[in-house]
Amino acid sequence: MVPALELEGVNKRYGDFHAVRDLSFTVDPGSIFGFLGPNGAGKTSTLRMVLGLIPPTSGRICVLGSSRARDRLDRIGFLPEERGLYRLMTPLDAVVFFAGLKGVSAAVARKRGREMLEAQGLGEAIGRPMKALSKGMAQKVQLICALAHEPELVILDEPFSGLDPVNQQGLEGLIRDLARRGATVIFSTHVMAHAERLCERIVLMAQGRKVFDGTTAQARAAAPTRLVLEGALDPSSLASLPGLASVEREDGQIDGSGVYTLTLAAGGSAQGVLKAALQRDLDISQFRLETPTLHDAFIVLTKAHGRHEPERHETGRHEER
Amino acid sequence: MVGANTAASLNRLRLIATREFLSYLRTPGFWLSLMIGPIAAGFGALAPSMMHQAAPAPVLAVVDLSATGATPTITAALDGPKPLALLVQPPAAAVDAPTPAAAGAALRPYLTGDPPAGGPRLDAAAILSGTPQAIVVDFWSRDINDPDLQLAVRGAATQAMQQARLRAAGLAPRLVAQFSTAAPVVHSYSPRAARGQVSMKDRLPSLLGLGLAFVLFFAIFTGAGILLNSVIEEKSSRILEVLLSSATVPELLGGKILGVAGVSAFIIAGWGAIGLLAVHRVAPEMVAQVGAALMTHGLVIWFALFFALGYLMYASVFAAIGAFCETVREAQTLLGPIMILITVPVMFLTVALEHPDAPLIVALSWIPPFTPFLMTARLASGPPLWQVLGALTLMAATTTAVVWLCARAFRAGALSTGKLDLKRVAAGLLGRSG
Repeated sequence: MVPALELEGVNKRYGDFHAVRDLSFTVDPGSIFGFLGPNGAGKTSTLRMVLGLIPPTSGRICVLGSSRARDRLDRIGFLPEERGLYRLMTPLDAVVFFAGLKGVSAAVARKRGREMLEAQGLGEAIGRPMKALSKGMAQKVQLICALAHEPELVILDEPFSGLDPVNQQGLEGLIRDLARRGATVIFSTHVMAHAERLCERIVLMAQGRKVFDGTTAQARAAAPTRLVLEGALDPSSLASLPGLASVEREDGQIDGSGVYTLTLAAGGSAQGVLKAALQRDLDISQFRLETPTLHDAFIVLTKAHGRHEPERHETGRHEER
Repeated sequence: MVGANTAASLNRLRLIATREFLSYLRTPGFWLSLMIGPIAAGFGALAPSMMHQAAPAPVLAVVDLSATGATPTITAALDGPKPLALLVQPPAAAVDAPTPAAAGAALRPYLTGDPPAGGPRLDAAAILSGTPQAIVVDFWSRDINDPDLQLAVRGAATQAMQQARLRAAGLAPRLVAQFSTAAPVVHSYSPRAARGQVSMKDRLPSLLGLGLAFVLFFAIFTGAGILLNSVIEEKSSRILEVLLSSATVPELLGGKILGVAGVSAFIIAGWGAIGLLAVHRVAPEMVAQVGAALMTHGLVIWFALFFALGYLMYASVFAAIGAFCETVREAQTLLGPIMILITVPVMFLTVALEHPDAPLIVALSWIPPFTPFLMTARLASGPPLWQVLGALTLMAATTTAVVWLCARAFRAGALSTGKLDLKRVAAGLLGRSG
């Protein structure tokens, strides 16, 4: 099976600045692939190299089986990070124009564009100039412009930025539909929640380097699991429990009761810790297990390359009671 | 496969050009541009006549302090169907003044616009002194920038002096009058005139050449300006990046340049049609003459070639500048030197009409940024073919190099972000960015 995208030892320098360092990864066809990292990690430079907009300083890039991305542009859909459209153009004309550039005839593009715009709730806006549309509507139109030629490879650079939660959910559905139809979707983001819900595989970048390449489950495994205990507890008693890396007390205690976060050491078992605590008759009124999220993995994996905080759009951890 | 790729490439070029063309056809600015040329040309043609009708003849008083006898000659010279001045009686205080200086002092209040009660409001006054054969004229005028009336008075006084000297030499007054009215019949000939004798028909190609040079100047910079704004809009709204992910730089740049060239060509064709209609209405016989003048020395063909190359060169430069800028203000900092450069040929256009073979004009017409304008203005005079072809070849080579450099800069600029940085522009030109 020919990968939809293959990078091998890719470097990109802008003068003295080394934006991308020795980057290698592959993306399977028909998958949803997350290209993650904080701002300035080298994501946009990499995507621009994939699209052939800028050449790599060294290394090899193979897109849809060709080392010349420019030969594959008709089969690629691209949504850039910062977005805009011709202000006086109507959404339908914009779709017809951009699909036309990808080789779709005007009649087909018009029919397809109308259907896609209506499906996205933009039926009434079809004939209005772009400047009369809201930001969210305009972003949907641009996404449709990127997809109207039914690309095999869809590259979305920060597609969720600027969208309200309802539209974010809609976009997630759209991305899943694309993959179901066989398209490969690569999207970059620094919002881990989207990647966690959508991606089968991710590559995590930090300061131009790949710091992780694998499944989301593998990424989460890199972050420690935490056990939260609440009750009239003694920190020194908790610290003596087996299999712990650290114990932290949260602020806001009520009536002498405290909330403690116990970070498990590698190989540590939450069940073992809890069992030991109960055997020692510690006064636990509540407990919950927090399995690590991609957000936590992001923090851990990028820690060695600087203090980059991903954007947290919703409660980070998965909780199990 | 190669054929399919070429067809796809041409299709993208066509789509980009069509979008560019149609987007401007829908703007009020396009229709304003289409109308402003004929309106300005019509106003320019009628302005002298309107100015003459609107401005009344200046009021002039002639004070002859020493009986030079030149007043009747001056009066006759200034009179006519369109009098150069309206003569009035001078104030008595000036007439009775003992010296020209005293007369001037007496006239001064009448020249200030607030004359003494009952006195005339004067625009100018001529105080004559000396002798009939050696007249001294003290000319007073409210308008220090208008020499026409002073020159007319001077000419008339000169004629009066010459007549007085001829009379003093013993010539009969009748003969003096005959000599004074003697004037030759002048026939103008030139080897460049079709029938030897120069007529309006022979001057028409040169005048058209000058007109076309101005049209070229306007069309190139209107077009390049449109292109600049278009690229800035696409750059600031990040459309350029999307376009570059769908089309190559040559397709994108070429399509945009072609689309705006269509707009310029449409405007020029519109102006031509309106101009021909106007000529047909005013002087129908001139239409054929204009047509013939346009073909003189292949004027219209060379004009098309110089227009194409000039437009391509300047449009590429403006598009590359636009790709680095997100606002017109940013672009202005880069355009300043270019705008100064392009006004140079305009300053020499009228000189090129009168002296098309002057060494300076010939030299300037070989400098590629000036060639389209100065060569177009020179073409009607029939410059040597080797000069036209040589300048065209040099221009074509320069344009090719400029387009190549600008395409590199355009790509670098289109993908750049942040504030305009001259280092980044230089890196783009050298292909060291992106």
